[in-house]
Amino acid sequence: MDTITIILNGVEVSGYPSTTILDLARELGVNIPTLCHDPNLASTGACRLCLVEDERNGALLASCVTSITPGMNINTNSPRVIEHRKKILKLLLASHPDSCLVCDKGNRCQLRQLAAQMGIGLNEFQRLPQNDIIEEVNPFIERDLSKCIMCGKCIRADQELVVEGAIDYIHRGSLVKAATLNEVPLEKSECTFCGTCVAICPTGAIMEKERAYTGTVTNTVTTVCPYCGCGCTILLGVKDGKVIQARPAEGSPVNAGTLCVRGAYGWDFISSSERLTTPLIRENGEFREATWEEALAAVAEGLGKIKESSGPDSLAVYGSTRCTNEENYVLQRFTRGILGTNNIDNGSRLYSSASLTGLGATIGYAGTTGSFDVLERSKVIIVIGANPEISAPAVAYAIKRAAKYKGAELCVIDPCFTQLARFARFWLQPKVGTDIALLNGLAKVIIDKKKFDMEFVSRMTDNFRKWEESLERYTTDYVKKVTGIPAREIQQVAQLLAEAEEASIVYGNGVTQYATGTDAVIAIANLAMLTGNAGRLGGIFALQRENNARGACDTGALPDFLPGYLSITEPQNRQKFEEKWGVKLPSAAGYSALEMIEKIREGKLKGMLIMGENPVESFPQPAQVKEALSSLDFLVVADMFLSETARLASVVLPAASFAEKEGTFTNFEGRVQRLHKVTEPVGNSLPDVDILLGLAEAMDSPLPYSSSQEVMEEIEETVPFYRHLAFGEAEKKDSDLADVDDGGTATRRLHKGLFPSGFGRFSPVKYIAALPPEGYPLTLVVGSVRFSFGSGGRSSRSDRMSRFYNNGCIEINSTDAVKLGISDGDKVKVKSAHGELEGIASINADLHRGMLFAPVSLLGSSVYKLFATVIDPQSKTPAIKSCNVRLERV
Amino acid sequence: MTKLQQKKPKISMKQIEKIITEYQGKKWALIPLVQKIQEQAGYIPPETIPIIARHLGLFPAQVQGVVTFYAQLYTTPRGNNVVRVCRGTACHVRGGKSILKLVKQHLGIDEGETTEDMEYTLETVACIGVCALAPNLMINKETHGNMNPKKVARLFGKSEKE
Repeated sequence: MDTITIILNGVEVSGYPSTTILDLARELGVNIPTLCHDPNLASTGACRLCLVEDERNGALLASCVTSITPGMNINTNSPRVIEHRKKILKLLLASHPDSCLVCDKGNRCQLRQLAAQMGIGLNEFQRLPQNDIIEEVNPFIERDLSKCIMCGKCIRADQELVVEGAIDYIHRGSLVKAATLNEVPLEKSECTFCGTCVAICPTGAIMEKERAYTGTVTNTVTTVCPYCGCGCTILLGVKDGKVIQARPAEGSPVNAGTLCVRGAYGWDFISSSERLTTPLIRENGEFREATWEEALAAVAEGLGKIKESSGPDSLAVYGSTRCTNEENYVLQRFTRGILGTNNIDNGSRLYSSASLTGLGATIGYAGTTGSFDVLERSKVIIVIGANPEISAPAVAYAIKRAAKYKGAELCVIDPCFTQLARFARFWLQPKVGTDIALLNGLAKVIIDKKKFDMEFVSRMTDNFRKWEESLERYTTDYVKKVTGIPAREIQQVAQLLAEAEEASIVYGNGVTQYATGTDAVIAIANLAMLTGNAGRLGGIFALQRENNARGACDTGALPDFLPGYLSITEPQNRQKFEEKWGVKLPSAAGYSALEMIEKIREGKLKGMLIMGENPVESFPQPAQVKEALSSLDFLVVADMFLSETARLASVVLPAASFAEKEGTFTNFEGRVQRLHKVTEPVGNSLPDVDILLGLAEAMDSPLPYSSSQEVMEEIEETVPFYRHLAFGEAEKKDSDLADVDDGGTATRRLHKGLFPSGFGRFSPVKYIAALPPEGYPLTLVVGSVRFSFGSGGRSSRSDRMSRFYNNGCIEINSTDAVKLGISDGDKVKVKSAHGELEGIASINADLHRGMLFAPVSLLGSSVYKLFATVIDPQSKTPAIKSCNVRLERV
Repeated sequence: MTKLQQKKPKISMKQIEKIITEYQGKKWALIPLVQKIQEQAGYIPPETIPIIARHLGLFPAQVQGVVTFYAQLYTTPRGNNVVRVCRGTACHVRGGKSILKLVKQHLGIDEGETTEDMEYTLETVACIGVCALAPNLMINKETHGNMNPKKVARLFGKSEKE
């Protein structure tokens, strides 16, 4: 592209056409003040402070919205510019209160900074105060529009970045302001309290409410949000050794200036008074405080004894998707090398191991094949069995941006209404558990109409014929009958997908947490390969619930795989690690998470180490899990809190939070991101990696690591697709997602559309009808809710979130409610063949007839007590997404 | 005066929804659409805003922003007759202010308000364009020039009887 040359402050410079004067100037280090410009937002030229003068004709131009044109002679600081800038600033200040002394924004206020820079104090203009404080009861955001300068950043952030549309301008002229629909308080609007507007507001007009600590941040540390699988970059602000604020990182390739309510306000569990501060040892049925030496010695003795008396395979270890890659790596080395067993698993078994198995079997790569920008530029996006708005907000933002502003067609496949359906061209509501029939049906339509990507299919895949034959049964009529979706819609969606230049399929727990989850994932992969949307274009986006679900698996906290998904049963794989670690490794695959519970009940497991997980709340049949864990001879739990599981332990080890340690997290895209230590661990708590190293030492087999960096270096060496990810480089934006061209096949991302094994493999999968048991006519679907996360271990200890959250309701369709004589707010009892649960009914008109919805944690009690332990035989994931129930009034 | 159909649009919500569906998916048509609703319903009932937004693929707050921006669009019911008193320079020097005061007294309402019987809505305008006849006011599309207290009384004094 040709460049344009202009003169900027007397120097000849050049830039590409359509570059704005402001961008060019900033690139060259010339500062032009602005209040309404943000690199993530479209420029509107609202504040006019970025005026510059074109000396050819004396025109004053708003540099943020003026593109460079040949021959421009721009002066950014001419006397006229200065005069006008000062006048504009004075006018802004004339209607801004003189409350700087008591304003929490303090020196972070950009208006104040500019006034100081330009030497403006009291000014001659008549003051025009605009008193407009909005009374709101939510504990997150407070708005004082008397300080608003109408830059419109909050409105643009709301509409362009998070695409919520909760606020916009109202009225005009001097009455104009940013308001919700009907000027209701935020908690009554569409607002999701993502905090993006708070972070972007240049003045004190939109502020964080109920801050635990007043004062200015003295130190800001960039780290990774600990909640969902998006892995947003957050900036934690510290004052006096305490985290007092979280802000989104503007330039993050993951969240680009946005966060969600959990990231913005949910971090305060780190200073919860419930944090464990010292090791606890159970003596005579009671916990007593202990020193680390005592505790580690007790654990070493406890585990050692069992190993000696009943053999290493009577021990099991359960790692956490909330712990870092380094911690999980050390954990599996500890388990395999020191304890001598492969009985190790991690929390992702509960939700995303179907992706591992299903994608591994088809595309040969166990995870998401694209990155955020691929998703956002897709022309067609299919979201199936996922509610990213809640489970992965940054993904939802990207999908909404694509659908609303980039012309993508969105198709949501979900029996429940999700907020994304508002942006969708199609919202298909299949009956619960019929996804496979629908996916196969879509594939059949595409094949029948010969609309598939023939070139891709013939060159890049195999087993097509066999798969094609298996689809015979899935005619549109049959699929319509099974799923309840109109034939026309099935055909339209198939056509949309087949004709898309670039399509992405996003799926989540609504697909994986079924007994047929692996098959459904395979069906998704089949569809993606059929349309040539695997790796080369578009992609498959496997959402994961927890922050480091991907990393825990990558680093080998799995019963059947060594780090890097090397099968444990292959001697040469073991040999590689045996040589490295100098120990003999057990050769048989270990038990997966749910098998562990079963084996405890069978008496085959006697001791267990649980790191940062809470199986009593997160497994089906909590009562049985609790009973099993209490029957262990020895249970060690390392956790931040005295969780339901930790209460059963023989020894409890206090673990540090995400803000108190170094390491790396791998998000659902496969992006490895660096976690930084923000504060010192609370009390005597320690990062899990230090606990494990201490434990190894107490067991007389010290591990040779002195820092996370050393562990990461070993991971880079042993896990092929973590290569080139030097610890220090994990911060570079692109290094982690680029195709790694090292000649090998096991590269990080599908390399230019090539599958690791050379071919993608179509695998036939069948829809098997499940008959509902007699007497349980309703289907209960379990999902996450905005203000609670997972089983609530952390979110319930976040002060503001837990206060705002109403503890969850059992949602019911209005027709069913009338039939059962239930009205909003009634106390109801849900009964399944396996348990019962009480809760408050809430009527939701968007829910399908015959369906109920409940959050994972209901009134502090796990909804999984309603579930039988049914396991997907392939992925070993429990089916904990839906179950058959009946509802009664209490 | 009795309270007559204070908040009801002239046509039913169902009819309004029918108008909206005609514009399905047409973002550009927001203004013609709300004008049409106002023409037929007398005003733009706020409860229609989310429906408009849904059909046009806009955010409700965005639609509200547009509706509240234009002076010609109303979100509250208007009287059967709209009275516009001129505040222009010519009218002002010839006593427009007093005329406005009198109209207010007669109707018992303030600027921007509607009488309880929904008969009159009172507004002021910056100029009607017939300064030669100042002071002026308009009732609906009819202009009344050379206003004086007597004329005002004649126009509004016995309005209740209608």
